[in-house]
Amino acid sequence: MRRRSFLTFSDVVVSNLKRRPFRSFCLISLVAVLAFVLFGGSLITCSLINGTDGLAKRLGADILIVPKGYDKMVEGILLRGEPSTFYMSADWIGKISQIEGVRSVSPHLFVASLSAECCSVPIQLIGFDQKTDFIVTPWLRTSLPGELGDDEIVIGGSVSGKVGSELMFFDRGYRIAAKMENTGTGFDSSVFMTMKAARRAAGDYVSMGGTFSPPEESISSVVVLIEEGFTAVGMTRKINSTFGYGKSGIVVVPTRTIIGSVSGGLRAMTAFTVILVVILWVLSVLVLTIVFSVTLNERKQEFGILRSLGITRKKLIALVFLESGAISFTGAAAGVFLSALLVFPFRTYIQETIGMPYMQPSFEKMLAIAAASLILSFATGPLASLFSSSKMGNSDAYVVIRDGGL
Amino acid sequence: MILEAREIKKQYHRDNILFSAVNDVSLSIGEGEFVCIVGRSGSGKSTLLNILAGLLTPTSGSVSFEGREYGGMNDGELSRLRNTRLGYIMQGHNVLSNFTVLQNVLLPHIFFKRDDDPTDRALSLLEQVGLRPLASQYPSSLSGGELHRVSIARALLMSPGLLIADEPTGDLDEETVSEIMGLFAGIVSKGTAVLMVTHNSDAASYADRMYTMQSGRLSEM
Repeated sequence: MRRRSFLTFSDVVVSNLKRRPFRSFCLISLVAVLAFVLFGGSLITCSLINGTDGLAKRLGADILIVPKGYDKMVEGILLRGEPSTFYMSADWIGKISQIEGVRSVSPHLFVASLSAECCSVPIQLIGFDQKTDFIVTPWLRTSLPGELGDDEIVIGGSVSGKVGSELMFFDRGYRIAAKMENTGTGFDSSVFMTMKAARRAAGDYVSMGGTFSPPEESISSVVVLIEEGFTAVGMTRKINSTFGYGKSGIVVVPTRTIIGSVSGGLRAMTAFTVILVVILWVLSVLVLTIVFSVTLNERKQEFGILRSLGITRKKLIALVFLESGAISFTGAAAGVFLSALLVFPFRTYIQETIGMPYMQPSFEKMLAIAAASLILSFATGPLASLFSSSKMGNSDAYVVIRDGGL
Repeated sequence: MILEAREIKKQYHRDNILFSAVNDVSLSIGEGEFVCIVGRSGSGKSTLLNILAGLLTPTSGSVSFEGREYGGMNDGELSRLRNTRLGYIMQGHNVLSNFTVLQNVLLPHIFFKRDDDPTDRALSLLEQVGLRPLASQYPSSLSGGELHRVSIARALLMSPGLLIADEPTGDLDEETVSEIMGLFAGIVSKGTAVLMVTHNSDAASYADRMYTMQSGRLSEM
């Protein structure tokens, strides 16, 4: 068996990096910060875009009608799953359905469960009418073959519980009939039940001493689909003019307003991430170029020795590229790894902090983001050493030796 | 002839004035010959050695090594020549501080794809120059004379036909100079030609032929 030589070309690269541990550490850290922001920022932005897309798909309604003053709360329910309880008269279902241009209407009833022994989790319970619903039911059909029973629930993707097991709300057990896929919206942390079950839950809440008593036959919101040829804004104006703007006790919210507010925030966040990444990338290339250039001057003696020993110009340039590449690759890998270490386990915290629909992309897409972040961060090293290596490559071997003071 | 230089001229512009560092120098070195060049600082000795080592292109004239002219070689070919057939010991302590003595000696082996393991030969060369016990030491713990001997061992690793040495005895005491010249005499006796530049007249006395260089011109003594 051939004995390994005491020295290889890569040993020269590693040895040069080890010779200046602090310098190498600083350069690696710089690229790591870039890769960290690039991967983390891209992943979060992508998750938000996914979440917003999910929200648009899941809302499935053109207009929401809620009691006056609760439009922000319904946003909280839809975007973040914040439990809320508010009611209005069920008469509004009939009133709205009479308006020309309205295709379908369906009520929702919201009941917030409690953070107490009676309830498994403090969560938003959403009652829906299976006969008229066009939001939850199409979505349910994929996972639930029959109708949902009054003692059954469907839980959002983030709610803990297995299909077949039970969750308690106001001391009453409900069998989990289905579990939704994650959507990135507030629906992920909501529980769906029949309208009858939701009314019963509201009654249970009152009988347990609840302070907020819903009126008989009340509902929390009406979701509206409009006919083709009508716009959500036009219909909003029409409903307001029909029932008297500000006097009717309801507020009409075009769903695009909710999505629009999310998209606006998302646009700002994406722009911020892109600007930050560009600044960091340019800064990294600039700092690395300066450092490599200074280092080149310091290492002229070493390069002169190597030239006198027969290293080719190409190989000397390769040495410089390998060193810069090793620095940027280590930094890029460390940055992406650390970013993944933070973004994946703390995704719930990030979602809560940002307060926008958040859904991580598929594994393949995340791999693609990681690969792109790695490549872009890694590229800073070789790119930064272009200047110094071309300067060296154009020099006569003797010039390298003479400038090195040999 | 292992090395043949014909009418070498090297001119520079210094403050817009044309300056001849090497002027019409012709030199031939045969196998196993020990040739020495003496001369004052700035006389053009180092420039001439760099031209003969293929590190510097002359303004005019030609250099050939074992019958091949440098002018017809590209950087890769010239580098391979320097790496395999032409050992070059530069002025000063030209060892890399981040490598051990043994690693410094092994350096020429890594620049081209090779399958052999040169470690035994490197250790044997270190034995010859009396540094075998210091193989794993770093240059910072070596004396000036020892560093020169590391350079000599390294230049001999690839068994060159010609060893070019630029002031290998500079800043060394008499005893060390004598040791190094003894080494060169041993190298020459094994058939490797040596071309040495020195200020030291004692060192020059080891040579078969001696030249003096003055204002870029070479003349045999």
